[in-house]
Amino acid sequence: MNTLLKIENLHARVGEKEILRGIDLEIRAGEVHAIMGPNGSGKSTLSAVLAGRDTFTVTEGSVTYDGRDLLALTPEERSWAGIFLGFQYPTEIPGVSNVNLMKAAVAEHRKQRGLEPLGAAAFLKLMREKMAYVEMDSSFSSRGVNVGFSGGEKKRNEIFQMAMLEPRLAILDETDSGLDVDALRIVASGVNKLKRPDNAFIVITHYQRLLDYIVPDVIHVLYKGRIIKTAGRELALEIEEKGYDWLIHQSE
Amino acid sequence: MTVLREEGDVRLDTSAPSRVSLRLGPDAGAAYLVLQDDASADRVETDFDIRLAAGASLEMVFLSLRGEVLRNRIRVSLDGERASCSLNGLCLAGGSQQRDFDILLTHQVPACHSTQLFKSILGGGSVAHFDGLIKVVPDAQKTEAYQANHNLLVSDSARAHTRPQLEIYADDVKCSHGATVGRLNPDELFYMRSRGITLEEARLLQQLAFADEILEKIPVPEWQQRMRILVEECLR
Ligand SMILES: Nc1ncnc2c1ncn2[C@@H]1O[C@H](COP(=O)(O)OP(=O)(O)O)[C@@H](O)[C@H]1O
Ligand SMILES: [Mg+2]
Repeated sequence: MNTLLKIENLHARVGEKEILRGIDLEIRAGEVHAIMGPNGSGKSTLSAVLAGRDTFTVTEGSVTYDGRDLLALTPEERSWAGIFLGFQYPTEIPGVSNVNLMKAAVAEHRKQRGLEPLGAAAFLKLMREKMAYVEMDSSFSSRGVNVGFSGGEKKRNEIFQMAMLEPRLAILDETDSGLDVDALRIVASGVNKLKRPDNAFIVITHYQRLLDYIVPDVIHVLYKGRIIKTAGRELALEIEEKGYDWLIHQSE
Repeated sequence: MTVLREEGDVRLDTSAPSRVSLRLGPDAGAAYLVLQDDASADRVETDFDIRLAAGASLEMVFLSLRGEVLRNRIRVSLDGERASCSLNGLCLAGGSQQRDFDILLTHQVPACHSTQLFKSILGGGSVAHFDGLIKVVPDAQKTEAYQANHNLLVSDSARAHTRPQLEIYADDVKCSHGATVGRLNPDELFYMRSRGITLEEARLLQQLAFADEILEKIPVPEWQQRMRILVEECLR
């Protein structure tokens, strides 16, 4: 299978603080990679750097996505190219409704592909269909983006948006944390419905339990800005049982 | 000045240039939209002299959109008990434009209600001044008076000067005032861009969201929608 994403020796910092300290990662179309690791390892930083957040400065290394230099693209260009970030802490946008956010996003995606904007009826049908993926009530569409949503509703909203945009590479940053079992199942089945041979997922999680529903091909453990272990799915069970200390010991 | 609603004894006099006089008799009701949107205007200064009798209720929405210097001086006197007055305004400015609101609202008698919400979106090297004074005379117990002025700076050199003030001589009142000067929220912009919305469009959506709180005060849906389209056109 062809390589979709190739990260080589990636270093990134905030101000003077180096957070990513040499990351190598290769993802092929059709794969699901899980990234685990203790709090503060740099998992959200890695996702934000891939999505183009400018609070982080890349100081070394490269990221090639679909043959292109990903780091040279603006956040919106990355989205058009098929990158999607499901935020660990989805931003609330008072005054911008969910439906208007998605209308603007879908229209821009279509424009970039040389397509006419969807008609109102077709757009609403699409919204309804994708909201059903995550069992989201249609009343959410007129509400301000994530405003007053519970933790679980915010995460479902992320998966809903992902379903609307059908990305080629989705990065889900702790989409499972704070979810009860029902919500977890809903989120996971949303992901599974979108899995195709030509797209890929990076699933960042603390817990083995999500990986019962979304089965990864590879698991990486990130610690202090480096990947200290890469293994098959059985690693998640081992981490569940023994924690991270033994891995950290091995790497030091 | 567009009449959105008038009921009862309402006397609106706009015969003098740049001077509006408005009298609401007992239990009268009125709503107006003041649209200032002449791109070729160099300087428009308007005085509003407003008095409300007992039980009267007034809603006004000011939209200061296009034009170089737009100044509004508003004097409201709540003369009869239970009068209620809602003043709202949105200023848009760019380039070297100026927007001024100078407001004095006086609670002369007990049990009146007033709210003021004024917002500005300022780009380029534009400047906005907001001077708002709520005065509550000694006898005006059970007054409720609120005032807020919020400014969104969308360029580095735009400036907002805001001075909301309260002068309260009665003790049994509910009053508050507040002002903010802020910028576009980078987290919100990034979130929208990560969904494929261009930076330009994301900035626009945020500004429309900011403006909408004022547009929602227009009590007639058709006018509200028309003004929303107009504001969007100005911001593009
Ligand atoms: N904007 C920021 N400013 C300063 N430090 C940051 C910022 N974002 C993250 N960090 C720091 O970088 C480290 C990695 O954070 P993060 O990527 O959020 O880790 P994880 O997602 O693995 O918990 C932490 O020490 C965190 O405090
Ligand atoms: Mg994190």
